[in-house]
Amino acid sequence: MNDPISNSPETDAIDREAAYWVLRIDRRLTAAEQDEYSQWLSADPRHRDAIAVQRWGWEELDRLTGLQTTVNALPDPDLLAPSRKLGARKFLEFAPWLMAVAAAVAVGLFIRSEHPASETTRSPANESVAVPSYALAAPIEQRTLEDGSVIELNRGAAIETHFSAAERRVSLMRGEANFTVAKNPNRPFIVSVGGIEVRAVGTVFNVRLDRAAIEVLVAEGKVQVEQSAANVPTGGQPLIPLMIAGQHAVVALSPEAAPPQVATLSAEEQEQKTAWQPRLLDFTSASLSEIVTDFNRRNPVRLILGDPELGALRLSATFHSDNVEGFVRLMESDFGMRAEWRGETEIVLRKAR
Amino acid sequence: MPPQDPEHARWFVDEVLPHEPKLRAWLGARFPHLNDIDDLIQESYSRLMRAHGSGPIANPKAFLFVTARNLALNHLRHLGYERPAGMVENDCLTVPDDAPGVPEALTRKEDFQHLIQAIQSLPDRCRQIVTLRKIYGLSQKEVAARLGISEHTVEAQGSIGLRKCIEFFRRQGYGPGSPR
Repeated sequence: MNDPISNSPETDAIDREAAYWVLRIDRRLTAAEQDEYSQWLSADPRHRDAIAVQRWGWEELDRLTGLQTTVNALPDPDLLAPSRKLGARKFLEFAPWLMAVAAAVAVGLFIRSEHPASETTRSPANESVAVPSYALAAPIEQRTLEDGSVIELNRGAAIETHFSAAERRVSLMRGEANFTVAKNPNRPFIVSVGGIEVRAVGTVFNVRLDRAAIEVLVAEGKVQVEQSAANVPTGGQPLIPLMIAGQHAVVALSPEAAPPQVATLSAEEQEQKTAWQPRLLDFTSASLSEIVTDFNRRNPVRLILGDPELGALRLSATFHSDNVEGFVRLMESDFGMRAEWRGETEIVLRKAR
Repeated sequence: MPPQDPEHARWFVDEVLPHEPKLRAWLGARFPHLNDIDDLIQESYSRLMRAHGSGPIANPKAFLFVTARNLALNHLRHLGYERPAGMVENDCLTVPDDAPGVPEALTRKEDFQHLIQAIQSLPDRCRQIVTLRKIYGLSQKEVAARLGISEHTVEAQGSIGLRKCIEFFRRQGYGPGSPR
């Protein structure tokens, strides 16, 4: 603690307790708590002063009530997230779409698992089953690794990284991810998934783990697919010695299945397989129905136009494709619409009254 | 109630009083068990005027409605009622508005920079809780549901958020009674 203003550990403890009491008083104390509180107050004269300060601060924050005045706005816990400073500033000017930050990430290594790996893989990430419904609208998470490689995790994905001087290893435990690998020939980048390894030096490719098979799609560069060393102690032939951009391979998970199939995909097919990745959608005088269609193609949350004539509304704007909430907020704040959640996966947009 | 200071009195008459019919109707519709709406409105006014007397308020109408709603919820809880059925978390901000999407009295936003920066400086969980509680006026219970965490966590993390905000204010030389 080199903060000149903060006090002794003792007064810090008093502040902590006082803040806690203020929160409890705010939601109204129970009878038992009321007794406890009175005792606490009389135990030390400093307690009363500390309560006064914490209560003052709690009420100061009320000045911000309704700062986001959009009618029917969905409460956004990340309204003031520091990474969205631009957004936080812009929302004050009522232009929330500017939150979209261009994450100029090429289509990268793409791995997808539709089942929680296997019974033998006890992934702690399995705990996240009880996600709140709003998680559906959560953005796709992007992580930059220490070497500069970038991983985008689709909703529900879990990874573990094990970096050493000799290699960069990432295990995909669950879900779907996209890897853009920083080039380093001396330190190969390996993705372990369902008993196989996808090995890259500096490249961009996709892998998908299904119930019965793993799919690999290379967008840029070259990769090698091999069995995990644990499966083949002697180190056998690579499953696929070389895959190049545009190629797509299916590797069966069961050992007695047919050997890997490699095919070349069209640009459109590649695009389809990686549509979950957030990207910047740039609309110029596009109709709302086109925009909604594009959003729906890329998100598990479905936008529905409750008033058909809304579909003809034209606008020019830039959105991050997974920023459904930001888009909905904009529709509410600037285009006189009202959004209504229907179940967990549908948002209906209507004209406000 | 009417404030003593003539300038505050005028502000009260212009900015606050016109909301009373809507506030009354809204409270009556949402809290039919509440029989002392008048007291509750008076208490909300006095809190609003107290805040107004010591600095700017981003949105007086939202302040008023959120304050009244939270008082009503606390009051009902005290009487042993559960929250009214069918009430949604952002009820308080869905009050009928004459001009949708346009803030009624958005004062100079730099007036709130110290508050916004204090919230921005918080650890993620604290920041989310303080944002939902203070900007959207959600109750502890609603925040717990919204974030998928326990009410106890909301309380504990919220109090950490509060304390850290105050530390942030202190570093800026801003405290109770200090001029802004």
